[in-house]
Amino acid sequence: MVVAGITIADQLRHKLGESAVKLQHAADGIVTCWIARQNFHDALAYLKTDVEQPYRMLYDLTAIDERMRVHREGQPPSEFTVVYHLLSFERNEYIRIKVPLKRDQPPIDTITDLWPSANWYEREVWDMFGIRFHGHPHLKRILMPKTWEGYPLSKDHPARATEMGPFHLPDEKEDAEQEALRFKPEEWGMKPGRDGMDFIFLNVGPQHPGTHGVLRIVLQLDGEEIVDAVPEIGFHHRGAEKMGERQSWHTYIPYTDRIDYLGGVMNNLAYLMAVEKLAGIDIPPRAKVIRVMLSELFRIISHLVWYGTFAQDLGQLSPVFYTFNDRERAFGIIEAICGARMHPNWFRIGGVVQDLPKGWEALVRDFVKYLPPRLIEYDKEVMQNRIFKARTKGVGVFTTEEAIEWGVTGPNLRACGFEWDFRKKQPYSGYEQFEFDIPTGRHGDCYDRAVVRVEEMRQSLRIIEQCVDNMPEGTYKSVQPLACPPLKERTMHDIETLITHFLGVSWGPVIPPGEALGAIEATKGNNGYYLISDGGTTSYRTRIRTPSFAHMQMLPKLIRGRMVPDVFAVLGAMDYVLADVDR
Amino acid sequence: MFVEEPKFQLSQPPALFARVDDEPAPLDEFGQSILTTSLDKVINWARKNAIWPMSFGLACCAIEMMSMIASRYDISRFGAEVMRGSPRQSDLMIIAGRVSNKMAPVIRRLYEQMPEPKWVISMGACATSTGVFSNYALVPVNQVIPVDVYVPGCPPRPEQLIYAIMLLQKKIEQDKNVVAKVLNLA
Repeated sequence: MVVAGITIADQLRHKLGESAVKLQHAADGIVTCWIARQNFHDALAYLKTDVEQPYRMLYDLTAIDERMRVHREGQPPSEFTVVYHLLSFERNEYIRIKVPLKRDQPPIDTITDLWPSANWYEREVWDMFGIRFHGHPHLKRILMPKTWEGYPLSKDHPARATEMGPFHLPDEKEDAEQEALRFKPEEWGMKPGRDGMDFIFLNVGPQHPGTHGVLRIVLQLDGEEIVDAVPEIGFHHRGAEKMGERQSWHTYIPYTDRIDYLGGVMNNLAYLMAVEKLAGIDIPPRAKVIRVMLSELFRIISHLVWYGTFAQDLGQLSPVFYTFNDRERAFGIIEAICGARMHPNWFRIGGVVQDLPKGWEALVRDFVKYLPPRLIEYDKEVMQNRIFKARTKGVGVFTTEEAIEWGVTGPNLRACGFEWDFRKKQPYSGYEQFEFDIPTGRHGDCYDRAVVRVEEMRQSLRIIEQCVDNMPEGTYKSVQPLACPPLKERTMHDIETLITHFLGVSWGPVIPPGEALGAIEATKGNNGYYLISDGGTTSYRTRIRTPSFAHMQMLPKLIRGRMVPDVFAVLGAMDYVLADVDR
Repeated sequence: MFVEEPKFQLSQPPALFARVDDEPAPLDEFGQSILTTSLDKVINWARKNAIWPMSFGLACCAIEMMSMIASRYDISRFGAEVMRGSPRQSDLMIIAGRVSNKMAPVIRRLYEQMPEPKWVISMGACATSTGVFSNYALVPVNQVIPVDVYVPGCPPRPEQLIYAIMLLQKKIEQDKNVVAKVLNLA
């Protein structure tokens, strides 16, 4: 975007010097600037605060191991590249800053002084690539165990389990690993007590019913009051980003299902948006609407799980039984269309797997009619419940500014009163053609987050109804050659498509070199896939930016000074899944 | 005396509502009030119908495990609905999801904390064999703790998990020498 005739790259050049900024073309159209390590910190500080219409959110921070990359035309030499994605709400656009590094150089500067949310991202880059950050407050492993050797996402680290050698867990190793997990307050700069009284350090998790999965939180307690907290993640890490370097572009789709495992096909959409930008594929209108309809169904399914479990966290046992029953009804539709429940793996490069089955309209219409009265009932049961209100109102409050500072997106951001929905602001997959509202909250507390999600279910129903009423005719998959696999009817009739089909299935489609970010408004916030193609059948680097990672990092800030039960109200209202945090 | 009319009319003849235990117990016939069996069988029967699983979700499979507990599939029909948060109160560990390198020692410790007798269900492809992932981060659960029943699927449907619990019940039913084991004589 050009402000007053000057591009952002020109402004950076003006600030840092003509030769300091080198532009790179990216398939997604995001301005991509290479800035040397001595300048990048100033550049980021300038973009965050000084520039007109600033880039206030650190959207993502990651790295690329460039040592095996062939297609680097026009890019400065680099062995490891640290990539910063910033988002400006005023401009409604991203900017990508890349910093080239050599392997044996001293550490680069941390940006935790600019954005507190950079803390975990930099730890992750250190954990996965071995890149150190100068001035980072706590540069320790975050996803892998502390005893781990090697950096999993560097190209010389093995990927397959069979390359790792057999796994043994003798008692001594178990004890050593458990000892490594022991929490040492002094490592975190925590005081052992105050006013002559010792603090209690309470270990919540990794196995705890209230943490919704394998998350560990260490609470520093003064009586019942939380002085500070340290979340520890990584118990769920399953190397999903590394899988992208092994699977073909086509066979990686099922892995995306399992990132935000409540979001189902919506993950496919984020990934395919990036792939389709790289491949330059246009999606036929029918496929677009099918994608929107299934995504919105999954948004409802995810929110129903959240609704029931959140109420359960706060002591209500019944709602979870009702919402799970409604979820089963939605799964009835998903099963009829896709043949699977949680992980349908239904979208393909260029469209969807198959056309909708006969009689799908009746199923969807039934559900659209069925759910609204149920939601009214749950409003009475949960949202208007006095205890529920008492447990959530005024708890875990943050403002819009804080949310942007910490990289919060999705319903959690909207609960602060900031009307920002990527479906409206940066429409994708034809969302601009649908009529729906963006529900927002006012106070930014746990209750408002719940209100926003409940209202979102209603809006999703509106979108689904419009999908049924206006489903376009036509093909469900693009006929462009990179669409994989090609339409079956054509495969059987012309030899060219048969060859493409054969190659696509045996080797996988060859995507042209380039990089692209595909970002969507997922169930929990902004889910983005940053893909780099080196012109092969697999991705060179797959970066998954998940909303829950950013949200979880904010947890200590939200619970400091509160009581222990508030932890679970805050966690429940946050709506995360651990696979979305750890990948 | 004034007799109040019943508020509700039974739509069925009362005979249909007669219950077996309404009949007078034949106390005089000593033989019919005694059931002979072995202590082993009684213990197995009690154990298999009151499995207490640990409420322990690892990944996507945990959501299907929750579906199994919830209203549509309702595991309480099979006596296994009492989910316990503490390993010390549970006798079944459902490994519902993949086991990461970081989690493996924790799972072993949790398993060690469960009192005997205890059983393990490995739910889903990831837990059983690291599934589609099969990479540096994961280990199959049987490298960490012994497993009784493996459930295929990614994730398995709730019905599959119910079937696994029924298979486990069969296994528990066939357990031999139970009393001796309880008394530490086996």
